[in-house]
Amino acid sequence: MADDEDLQPYLELYQKSVPAGLAGERRMRELITPPFMDLTSENVLRDDIALEEYNAWRAYMGWSLWDVIAARSTEGESGLIPRQEYETISFLQIWSLYPQLMSEITEAVGIDGVIEIGRTPRREIGTKINLAHTWSPQNCCHLGRSIALEFGLETPDSRRGELQTAVQFARRLAFGTWGEGAAFASGRGYKAPLLEDDMVEMLIANEQRLDDPAQRQIFRQFNATTELMGYLLHYDCRFGVQDTGPYPVPGGGFMIVRDHWLNETSYPWATPAEGLPYCVTEAMIFRPDADVEITINDLGTTFSEPRDYLQHLSGVAVFARDTEDTPMSGLRLLDIDDMVEITKKSKAATLALYRTLASKDRDQKIRDGIYVYAADHIRPHAKAAGLWDTMQPRIAELTDLALAGWGPLADGDAASVLGPLFVKGLAYSPLKNG
Amino acid sequence: MSGQREIGAGINVMEFAEPITGRTIFLDSPDQVLDFIMSDDVESSIVISRGGTTTFVAPALTAGVRGLMTLQGAPESHLGILSREYGIPCVMSVTFTEGVETSRGEIIPADGTLVTLDIATTPRGRVLIDDGADNG
Repeated sequence: MADDEDLQPYLELYQKSVPAGLAGERRMRELITPPFMDLTSENVLRDDIALEEYNAWRAYMGWSLWDVIAARSTEGESGLIPRQEYETISFLQIWSLYPQLMSEITEAVGIDGVIEIGRTPRREIGTKINLAHTWSPQNCCHLGRSIALEFGLETPDSRRGELQTAVQFARRLAFGTWGEGAAFASGRGYKAPLLEDDMVEMLIANEQRLDDPAQRQIFRQFNATTELMGYLLHYDCRFGVQDTGPYPVPGGGFMIVRDHWLNETSYPWATPAEGLPYCVTEAMIFRPDADVEITINDLGTTFSEPRDYLQHLSGVAVFARDTEDTPMSGLRLLDIDDMVEITKKSKAATLALYRTLASKDRDQKIRDGIYVYAADHIRPHAKAAGLWDTMQPRIAELTDLALAGWGPLADGDAASVLGPLFVKGLAYSPLKNG
Repeated sequence: MSGQREIGAGINVMEFAEPITGRTIFLDSPDQVLDFIMSDDVESSIVISRGGTTTFVAPALTAGVRGLMTLQGAPESHLGILSREYGIPCVMSVTFTEGVETSRGEIIPADGTLVTLDIATTPRGRVLIDDGADNG
């Protein structure tokens, strides 16, 4: 896996042949039979999936992972957080644990219950049961298995069935989120207008216009500062931010709904965030006078052409979900003064948290990062099933598999392992009979 | 931009009609980041960082640097996303053709070099200095 081959050709086209985006998605659909990346009420219920179905999933997900991650995979190192190190080891930790945890959740609430959990982002804002938390966990399982095989920690025949457990868990969540059809935003034109009409109407009804340039600048600082806080709190991963949309707005224009998690109290290092809301949600309403093309990927990140989409912002409705358990009826509408105050607190918290992280030794930062990935990828679902308290101690302790990978991955191999994994589709080569 | 020469180019995150000018500083450790934000030069500086991750330069973002350049990464990287949200000009994966060597052998402008970022178009952004200026 850790090879010296130039990755540049693999960045331009998936496996040197399939493009990114809509054209790539269309091409993958031409190549894949049966279309198991699509959900039906029949195929999400089955525990057993045929090898050809599973390989179809693998083929699509290899491209999907590349489509979302390849460009990001070049971002290299952080001088603050050993991110590639914690990311690779966490894949082993997740692969060790998740199929069993997913089975336990399914056993506790039933398949219908998993689908119901997947419905949450249709009716709630500020929930981590969202696009990223559906798309990513099964990816981590495949990536972890691939690393385990590369290091000789497992054999190709071991635990194969558990991959299918991870896939079906994701597909059932996605079925709750989307219903029948494509499992991911990529198959739906890179649009993710998940929220139901009554929530969309409520958000639009609370719009505060930002005609005053000074107020627009206040919001821009609020948006950026809280987003940065979310990234730092989550050890530079995207679980601190999530977008849905675009939603059409009456009279023209569109809305993007964005969550920033500021005070995830399940992380021991979150103390500088004390006093901040658990999550703030920005319903951003755009009424552009020129074409703006919006896409949202399966990590819930918005991209636009032209790129400065915020210049077209017309108004916002911003809400705080003060605690993780605050019901939708308890959302707090924020005004401009609230945004100024939260920006100020987030700036101070970011600096305090930065100093805290900078003072930690490297191994502790790797352990923290592993915990972010291994906990956050399944905590929302486990909590919804009432199982988080029993699962948390198992996740907090490094498994034998993760410990076996620690040596090489923490000491220099992570970057050379991660790049090819993300870029070349190695985790998703077809399985053979047997 | 006559009278200037190109010393580097990379991937421009977002279009800005007007070029920006500032003095460069290469930040290579969290301690350097923390010292930098206590200086008087934040708002006139263009920070160079190695990676495209966002958290490393977090305090510099909140402190309001004039611009960013990275040696790695792409607009889809976390720092690319955050620079866009702040509206801070950012050119990523810059390859410099002249300058000084870092401890790892990368070529970058010497700290304090006055550079101009030509960021009018995407995807390519250019780094310029005045003709005759010393960059080493």
